[in-house]
Amino acid sequence: MTTDLGFWVLQTLNALQLSMLLFLLSVGLTVIFGLMHFVNLAHGSLYAFGAYIAATLSGTLGYWGGFLLAPVAVAALGAGLYFSLIRSQRRAGPMAQVLVTFGLIFVAVDATRLVWGDLPIGIAMPAILDGQIALLGVDYPLYRLFIIALGLAILAVLTLVLTRTQVGAMIRAGVDNDQMAACLGINVERMFFLVFVVGCALAGLAGAVAAPVLSVTPDMGLQILIPTLIVIVIGGLGSLRGAVAGSLIFGFVQTFGAVLLPTFSAVLIYALLAAVLVTRPEGLLPAKG
Amino acid sequence: MLETRSLSKSFGPIQVTRNVSLKLEKGERRVILGPNGAGKTTLFNQLVGELTPDSGTIHLDGADVTALRVADRARRGLSRSYQKNTLFDGLTIAENLGLATAVALGKGQRLWSDPLQSAEVRETVREVAAMVDLAPHLDARVDSVSYGIRRQLEVGIALATRPKVILMDEPTSGVGPEMSKGFHRLLKALPRDLTILIIEHDMDLAFDVADTITVLNYGEVVFDGLPEAARGSSLLRDIYLGAWENA
Amino acid sequence: MFTHTPLRLATLALLAAASLTYALAAGFFGLEILAEIAILAILVIALDLVAGFGGMVSLCHGALMGVGAYAFTVAANDAGLTALPAMILAVALSTALAFAIGAVCARSTGIYFIMATLAFGQMAYSFVFQSPLFGGDDGLSGAPRPDMTALGIDLSDSRTFAIYALLLVALAYAIATATLRSGLGRSLVCLHHNEKRLRALGLTVWRAKATAFAISGALAGVAGCLAAQHTQYVSPGLLSWTVSGEALVVVILGGLGTLIGPILGAILFVILKHEISSITPYWHAIVGLILIAVVMSRAQGVFGFIEARMAARKPQAQIKKVKADA
Repeated sequence: MTTDLGFWVLQTLNALQLSMLLFLLSVGLTVIFGLMHFVNLAHGSLYAFGAYIAATLSGTLGYWGGFLLAPVAVAALGAGLYFSLIRSQRRAGPMAQVLVTFGLIFVAVDATRLVWGDLPIGIAMPAILDGQIALLGVDYPLYRLFIIALGLAILAVLTLVLTRTQVGAMIRAGVDNDQMAACLGINVERMFFLVFVVGCALAGLAGAVAAPVLSVTPDMGLQILIPTLIVIVIGGLGSLRGAVAGSLIFGFVQTFGAVLLPTFSAVLIYALLAAVLVTRPEGLLPAKG
Repeated sequence: MLETRSLSKSFGPIQVTRNVSLKLEKGERRVILGPNGAGKTTLFNQLVGELTPDSGTIHLDGADVTALRVADRARRGLSRSYQKNTLFDGLTIAENLGLATAVALGKGQRLWSDPLQSAEVRETVREVAAMVDLAPHLDARVDSVSYGIRRQLEVGIALATRPKVILMDEPTSGVGPEMSKGFHRLLKALPRDLTILIIEHDMDLAFDVADTITVLNYGEVVFDGLPEAARGSSLLRDIYLGAWENA
Repeated sequence: MFTHTPLRLATLALLAAASLTYALAAGFFGLEILAEIAILAILVIALDLVAGFGGMVSLCHGALMGVGAYAFTVAANDAGLTALPAMILAVALSTALAFAIGAVCARSTGIYFIMATLAFGQMAYSFVFQSPLFGGDDGLSGAPRPDMTALGIDLSDSRTFAIYALLLVALAYAIATATLRSGLGRSLVCLHHNEKRLRALGLTVWRAKATAFAISGALAGVAGCLAAQHTQYVSPGLLSWTVSGEALVVVILGGLGTLIGPILGAILFVILKHEISSITPYWHAIVGLILIAVVMSRAQGVFGFIEARMAARKPQAQIKKVKADA
């Protein structure tokens, strides 16, 4: 089995798909932290909302309707959270932030249960992506390729924005030293808001995209939160490269671990986390190395 | 007692420590002088183990300690006081000294009984408090005393471990001239078998207290010798640009 | 440094008297609630020890408790141990796990620490959930209560069990205060604010943190054994993040770093939970809102608030002290 090229191609694609999904989630969370020093544990809940909203909207507007509007809806929700909670807790220290956003998780889980019930809901895959394609000797689901492509596209756009645009430069300056950036005339508050909302939108997008392949349940937010946190702790807080590195490491270790070492696969990623925490507690590629 | 051999350290393209070789005999009192940015505190950080040098070795009491971590070096008798007060704010002065003593005696991880109540610790606290003129303030909380007293405590904590070598980083920093004189007295009265290395800007202290003087500039040693020789040197005058007028 | 101020002593005495009276007077349902409060109280004492005094905010204490509960059940059922040896084994396991987590996370602080504990807690949860040894989602039943018939005590009686649980709370409290008064306890409290100095004085910081976390884990394990003995059934839900989160809420609600506050918080929480759960199935949302409210109001929890108000009534003593030192 392991000598079969098809096997490796298949698992690599699966790993990439998982990595890209985690990337969409972790990049928002890590840049928000790097810039605002705020960890939003409810990030997973935003992802869950994205999935639920996409599933609901897809009933009337079709998959693509949900796909396009879910991020917008989640971004709006994020904006609301920003003005009500996030902005006031920004300077309150990490413990306060953890507790407030943890409280939000509790509220969010029950809110989804209230609106959509406890049972998983389904979402139909878009017809155009429903099917398989022959790729390097395997038949791979088109939709999963779409996820990979989308992830790569977003990565390209973010890299471009952060490195080639003035907004990107301002964000990077803010990550480095937000007080200094403010002294230089950069409207740091507006930047924080923008980054936060975009991060939320990405989370919502991840949810909408993941909905057809993972089950949409009230618990899905926390299910994805832990891997996301592991990704940013391993990758390093605050940097795009860290998010990419962390996501790839997680995706590949998890996927290949599950098929090559099934008995250890559950603890493998945690062993890796432990190793990183002991040797490089700030992560592999933090923003401030 | 304390020796460095060709110690070097760079941060990227900036070399903060250039080939620094120092040798302190037991009981020696040496003052390190140098303008801001000369790399004095960085040198201390390497001596203590908070920073790893790029090359060179550090020897404590004859043993090579370059690879040892901070806590290990501390247990071998190396102690340090900081330029910025690094005290245990919520505790009293006696508790600060007591904790330092207890940790140095290896009681910082003990699970039974309060080490600060032990006779040995209390005796040491009394002795150290006497050394740094803190006896009248033992029961005061740190956040209720003046800056000068806190500075004394800063040194006191370092002394409480009964070290062989103590590194003091600008002990009189921020302290007024009267308190500073008090510090001179305090330093000169310390046990003669204690090796003391002081970073200072205060020239008066340097000449009053030091057996030898080392001057750092841009990370390297530009002078190493007796205070009298330093006094007449034009090199040093150039470095300090006239700060030596009254020396 | 943890001292027993008059207020704290008074509160403790009140708690002891009230809980004992209740244990002797209450009916079945009341005794069940009392046992539940006791279990939570032990868990939050464990958490406050490291979070309130050591600044190590943990979101894995539910998992540590769950490990204790499962270890006890498996040891008693499958390994054929009687209750007491099974408890010792279970507590040893939760202690070891806590030591490992504390050691691994010793170099992480603040938010990193919290996230790491959350991840490791979830690791324990997944392990227990997925392993066939532990019955998966169905859980395991049949955990025995200690057999004390030799002493004339029958723990299958609810009232006796409730008193036994209260005694364990007292034990947990005693262990926590003893730890705080020890050399390790002093180091722990100062580590929070000035780790660098302690290291420079010669303290092996990672080991101090890990040991403190281990003691906390031991207490959590005791809570787990008690939980297993109480319902005589364990399920993976014991290790879930919600339990860890609730423990943290209780500590915050009661007063972080007061040790007694969390006990009060536990009483409040369990009663509130039962009252609100009977009205709505969305109890977690309420917990979340309470947590957000408490944090945003910057209150120091119920007991913390009381202590602060009492301290504010004594400004004269403080002014005199400052004048004396000037």
